[in-house]
Amino acid sequence: MILWWLGDLILLLVVLPIVVYLLAGVQRAAKSIPDKVDGISKVAAAGSRDLNAVPMLLTTQDQVIKTVAGVANYGGSLDIILDDA
Amino acid sequence: MYLFAVAAAGVVTIIAVVLIVLALVVYLVSIILQLRRITAGLAEVMGGVGEIVRKSTPVNGVVKTINEQLDAGVDLLEGLLVKKAGLEDAVGLVDGLYPGSASAGFRRFPESRTTKPPRVGEVYTRGTLTLARLGREAPIAAASPVGPALRDAAYGSAAAAKLYPEPRQARPQSLPRSPVVGTGAPIQYGPSPPDTISWGRGAAEPPAAVPEPQASTPEAEAAAPDAPKTISWKRS
Repeated sequence: MILWWLGDLILLLVVLPIVVYLLAGVQRAAKSIPDKVDGISKVAAAGSRDLNAVPMLLTTQDQVIKTVAGVANYGGSLDIILDDA
Repeated sequence: MYLFAVAAAGVVTIIAVVLIVLALVVYLVSIILQLRRITAGLAEVMGGVGEIVRKSTPVNGVVKTINEQLDAGVDLLEGLLVKKAGLEDAVGLVDGLYPGSASAGFRRFPESRTTKPPRVGEVYTRGTLTLARLGREAPIAAASPVGPALRDAAYGSAAAAKLYPEPRQARPQSLPRSPVVGTGAPIQYGPSPPDTISWGRGAAEPPAAVPEPQASTPEAEAAAPDAPKTISWKRS
């Protein structure tokens, strides 16, 4: 009989607080995650918007190719016009 | 009494278990709701990340192509500069235009890193350096050991002005040339009379009239048209 009461006391004074403490910790951690997920989502959206100019790289690529070709033409002409050192 | 005590202990046990179950239910339900919010947020994040991946897929190839083109251009220009100016002068020129860059050297010329750059940048301006490296077209390159300047050094300023035409035309298009003096001049002046020179303090008197130069006769010019004209001072 005494053991029963002792078990009740342990259940109420030890097990229940521990269960509540652990569950509160898990709940606190779970509640902090959505805010961070929202932040990540905003950053991802901003990063996606920043990459909207990526197709312009194709234009840049064409311009660089044309520019280097022009430089090569000028270089060839200079090579003919000017004497070597 | 014993039965009452047993019933009381059982009730307390039941209450404790119920409390524990209630705590589990409340907290676990709350956690489940939070996890559902997390799942929805992660789905949104995955959409954004997928968009980033899709948009950045061609970047690697495009940037690689651009870098290859720029590398080819740099190699071309470096090779041309070294070929035309020589390695030492090329390093000096680059270091003059971009101080401190000589230590990096040229990529295709590893020996350029150890080449001591001549201090051309301390003597000439950037514009002069540019003209000088344009293949001995500048006056400073007239004494190049590989040959004379390509441009006429005597009229170097006029040739340089052609490189930078004046849009406003602030001066006449063609000005008369300066008179040529010396033994090759088309008009030759003879020596002054020795007794007409002392006009300074203490001189007796200035000459009554300054002698006029006398041009060569038309007959002499007809006889030798290419000969320089001679004007002699005739005593009055």
